[in-house]
Amino acid sequence: MFHSTQGVQGPDPVAFPSGEADATAGGTPILELRDIRIEYKGHEVVHGVSLAVQRGEVIALIGPSGAGKSSLLRSINFLEQPSAGQILVNGQLVQGQSGSRGAIARNKSLAAHRRDVGMVFQQFNLFPHLTALENVVLAQVHSLNRSKEEAVARARQELAHVGLTGHEDKYPAKCSGGQQQRIAIARALAMDPQLMLFDEPTSSLDPELGVEVLNTMKRLASEGMTMLVVTHEMHFAEDVADRVVFMADGAIVEEGPAEQVMLRPSSERAKTFLSAVRGR
Amino acid sequence: MIESILAMVPDFLPGLGISLLVTVASLALGLPLGILLALGSLFAGKPLKFTCIGLVELGRGVPGLIMLYLVYFGLPQMGVVMDALPAAMIALGLMTGAYTAEIFVAGFRAVPQGQWEACGTLALSYWKSLRLVILPQAIKIVVPPLIGWTIMLFQATSLAYAISVPELMSRAYNYASVTFEYALAFTLAGFMYLAVTLLGLWLFRRASGRRRSAATSRAAVLAGA
Ligand SMILES: Nc1ncnc2c1ncn2[C@@H]1O[C@H](COP(=O)(O)OP(=O)(O)OP(=O)(O)O)[C@@H](O)[C@H]1O
Ligand SMILES: [Mg+2]
Repeated sequence: MFHSTQGVQGPDPVAFPSGEADATAGGTPILELRDIRIEYKGHEVVHGVSLAVQRGEVIALIGPSGAGKSSLLRSINFLEQPSAGQILVNGQLVQGQSGSRGAIARNKSLAAHRRDVGMVFQQFNLFPHLTALENVVLAQVHSLNRSKEEAVARARQELAHVGLTGHEDKYPAKCSGGQQQRIAIARALAMDPQLMLFDEPTSSLDPELGVEVLNTMKRLASEGMTMLVVTHEMHFAEDVADRVVFMADGAIVEEGPAEQVMLRPSSERAKTFLSAVRGR
Repeated sequence: MIESILAMVPDFLPGLGISLLVTVASLALGLPLGILLALGSLFAGKPLKFTCIGLVELGRGVPGLIMLYLVYFGLPQMGVVMDALPAAMIALGLMTGAYTAEIFVAGFRAVPQGQWEACGTLALSYWKSLRLVILPQAIKIVVPPLIGWTIMLFQATSLAYAISVPELMSRAYNYASVTFEYALAFTLAGFMYLAVTLLGLWLFRRASGRRRSAATSRAAVLAGA
């Protein structure tokens, strides 16, 4: 009920001794997933996915429903506990939490990891009893131990950054969906993350409101933020992403530069998927 | 008849006061207990968790009258002697703890999992998430059922008559046993319980009605936007 009860007690995951980071093209990746497996109640849905993300890279993760995109994304900050595999940030192995799996980090190193990784949800998950400003202030004060003044100043700055100056004192219920999602982005940015994860950030928005959010994300990308975005917005994948990763049935089927995967996919799975979503 | 009623009122009103006092004291004792039992039965480790769940079931399963007798007549056998009034407050307070624990559990459960996840991704600690994010939302959810319980509790204070707490019910009984005006005395007492209950409900509806109309206008703003 409160803890994500998904995930199954397995042989202690993610607790292998740290291996040395692969020297891939751009040096040590900011994030590296090695052979990540995820299962729900003994049923494996992600079958050993490896992926390296370079600093400043924008990656679009696309694929049909049920492919395991959300599961993979959520495993990066251990909202889902991988049943096997390793997650490295800047070459350092991240220790997940074995045993009790809750949404809340129970150990210091996982909490530190969570502070480095911002997350934006499809359903925004704003705190409904707090104003926009308070939403952005809360974790700065109570998780980063910033002073109230510093946090408020930073929150105003981040809200301005996402185009919400003048909306600081509104409650989420009084904001449009697009505004709410931008508040959520500001809330994550105020934590100074090294990496931002987005899980279908525009899927619950009307198209014209989704555009506000996509524009904000475009700006973040152009400012050099490292972003991993699960999306059904093919334009975003084509125009903004540096690299597109196509997943199906719990595995990466195809990945490469955005224009290659989007315009000249080589796998049948990707061709079928892309023509189906474009035909909509 | 009017005269007989008017003669009763000065005798009954202090009794009503004591009924209200027992209600308030039982809430003051029972609500914190209910929150603790709810937290325990949701979040504690196995032994404590099952203890809390067991206590809640016990408190809900035992009739109020037995609870009163246990505290007033049972505890003295273990060396704990107390007056009828505090005994009634404690017994009804324990009952309130057990019943409201269920309400609080439902309240905590009604806060969406996404709220915990948002706290988690912002690396808030467990207690901070609970205190700053979950509890404020759960409280809002539990207010209406807590009002319902309060009304039940207020009426249940009449049980304290059985251990001679001089509340409204025992005033009515004593008055009637002297004057033999049973029908009139209990009708008046019943009306007093009814009046307080209706007044409480009316105040509650007024307060929440205002909140609801604010929500409606908020929805209207959104729809117009
Ligand atoms: N909490 C859960 N418990 C059990 N099974 C789950 C859970 N979450 C996801 N699954 C299953 O895991 C598989 C992958 O789901 P996931 O949500 O990761 O897919 P997705 O690619 O994000 O799909 P979508 O595009 O619909 O969001 C699906 O078969 C899904 O039913
Ligand atoms: Mg998904």
